[in-house]
Amino acid sequence: MMDSASTLYRADILAIDDTPENLQLLSQLLTRRQYKVRSVTKGKTALRAALAAPPDLILLDINMPEMNGYEVCERLKSEDITRNIPVIFVSALGETLDKVRAFDVGGVDFVTKPFQVEEVIARIETHLQLRRLQQQLQAQNVRLQQEIRDRKQAQETFSKAFRSSPSPIAITTLEGGQFIEVNPSFLRISGYARHEVIGFRLDELNLGIDMEEYHRGRAQLVDAGALHNWEFELRTKTGDLRTVLVSVESIELQGYQCALAIANDITERKRLENEFISLVSHELKTPMNSMIGALDLLGTGQLGSLTDKGQKMINMAINNAERLVRLVNDVLDLERMKSGTLTLNPKVCGVPTLFQQAETVMQPMAQDAQVNLVIEPIDVKLKVDYDRIQQLFTNLLSNAIKFSSPGGTIYLSAHVEAGNTSHQTPEIPSPSHPSTLSPSTPPSTLHITLRDQGRGIPSDKLTLIFDRFQQVDASDARTKGGTGLGLSICRQIVQQHQGRIWAESAIGEGSTFHVTLPLMDLDEETTATECQG
Amino acid sequence: MSKCILIVDDEADVREVTQLGLEMGTNWTVLTASSGVEAIAIATEEHPDAILLDLMMPDMDGRATLKQLKAIEATQDIPVIMVTAKAQQSNLQDFQDLEVAAIMAKPFRPLKLAAEITRILQWS
Repeated sequence: MMDSASTLYRADILAIDDTPENLQLLSQLLTRRQYKVRSVTKGKTALRAALAAPPDLILLDINMPEMNGYEVCERLKSEDITRNIPVIFVSALGETLDKVRAFDVGGVDFVTKPFQVEEVIARIETHLQLRRLQQQLQAQNVRLQQEIRDRKQAQETFSKAFRSSPSPIAITTLEGGQFIEVNPSFLRISGYARHEVIGFRLDELNLGIDMEEYHRGRAQLVDAGALHNWEFELRTKTGDLRTVLVSVESIELQGYQCALAIANDITERKRLENEFISLVSHELKTPMNSMIGALDLLGTGQLGSLTDKGQKMINMAINNAERLVRLVNDVLDLERMKSGTLTLNPKVCGVPTLFQQAETVMQPMAQDAQVNLVIEPIDVKLKVDYDRIQQLFTNLLSNAIKFSSPGGTIYLSAHVEAGNTSHQTPEIPSPSHPSTLSPSTPPSTLHITLRDQGRGIPSDKLTLIFDRFQQVDASDARTKGGTGLGLSICRQIVQQHQGRIWAESAIGEGSTFHVTLPLMDLDEETTATECQG
Repeated sequence: MSKCILIVDDEADVREVTQLGLEMGTNWTVLTASSGVEAIAIATEEHPDAILLDLMMPDMDGRATLKQLKAIEATQDIPVIMVTAKAQQSNLQDFQDLEVAAIMAKPFRPLKLAAEITRILQWS
């Protein structure tokens, strides 16, 4: 209505007056000024016209037969489509009471006849303008209300997603690790009630989170903005342990840096994984048994003589079958260590015993490779799992032998360092390995070094080599007969013993592997069982 | 010294290879059984000098077979070496509760088996 008016005429005005002369005068005045004017002489006609095509403004006389101006106005105000049309009364009645009544029934203005043309035009313009502003305001209100509805809906969607998420979610402050919000899934898995969590700090709840690991994770979160797949054992209120995989995003909430953590309970998955590993171990090793056995028997030549080439092929098959068995064993060892099912059996062991046993086991391999082993033990005692530490030494020694040239020498030595030196090591262990020894700070540390004169390790591989299947050269697996898991197993063993392992090397000059292990306070361990050399 | 050994394994290939391996290096008599039930019957009847018993077998596994062997008077003194793919150097201690002369991890080398058995049972 307004829009079309603006293109052809300034506004559509309905004028009502029982005196035709008055109407004609008004109509002329307004038409000349580009207004569209519809003139009627009766109240009833006016109402019909207004309802049929609502005008932008109404000029209304008061004294009219049948239905006076007040009544017309009241009727207009009672209809939805005409209620908001501004009505200006134009009347010879000039008493205050008349004017008051006019405003009372809903008029917006009052012009006394006889009128000044300019004044009428000015008032019409003012009220048209007011009406336009009012309409704009109404439209804006409708928009705002819609926006509020949309936002409420969005908020409800997100809060529903948060509340109903099957994954436990927690929001904590980044600085103090204080719980701000948790969802029902979090409460379900942790066993705590909401009021036992909100407002408390992570270290106040006994959730089994290693604080050292937590601080390391937080540093990473600050640096990178996110932390993915952090695995740890969550202790529930009842003391049960659930394995969870947590991803954390750094978010800002009301000006505070917070951590949004979403967890996945992988306890069942872990159990199935272990079951699977155990199954695979059996299903792989049983056929290997028949295969190696059959090859062995063939190799004796007693089942039919073999040519030299035939013998070579049999040996090759046996070597590879043995390598496969080593790989399966290494994979199983590593998985057992990582899953915590391979626990330590710590006993008091003398370093000389440990070194000499390692030398005895590895000497044949060293002799085959024409490599000298120099063992320089010191007379101190450790509380360690004898078999695991032997596995560590034989893995490291066999690596050193494999990468040494004939005539080379390997030195295995040790010295005692005062205090805990673990923080000075450049190697940062991956998070999430529950330890089986007590984490108390040892009074001093045994620092073991294994130095070879081999080809060396490029500096960019020095930390990588402790990861699974990360050999310096891809062909090493074939030519050196390794599984690519040896150093990974070494790292697990050392970490289980609260120690550190790292490597230093210069290309062409050999490598040195460093292992630190906490030395026990022997006074407290006088009754401890001695390991069997 | 001629000995009689009973090999118990549900895998025919393992039985055959083990038997052949033992026979090639020794003059021992080698008997085989493919199940726990069969093993108990043969052991009762033949009273071998040692039993090489597989742990993982369907129906009656090595543990159950061992329990029965130890419960029967005629077989309770026969030394048993438990053989299993579940064991390896790093977890032999998990099987310490078994009343056996030794735990042997699979895969084993059949040609070295006779020497290993001789060592374990101190026959030399």
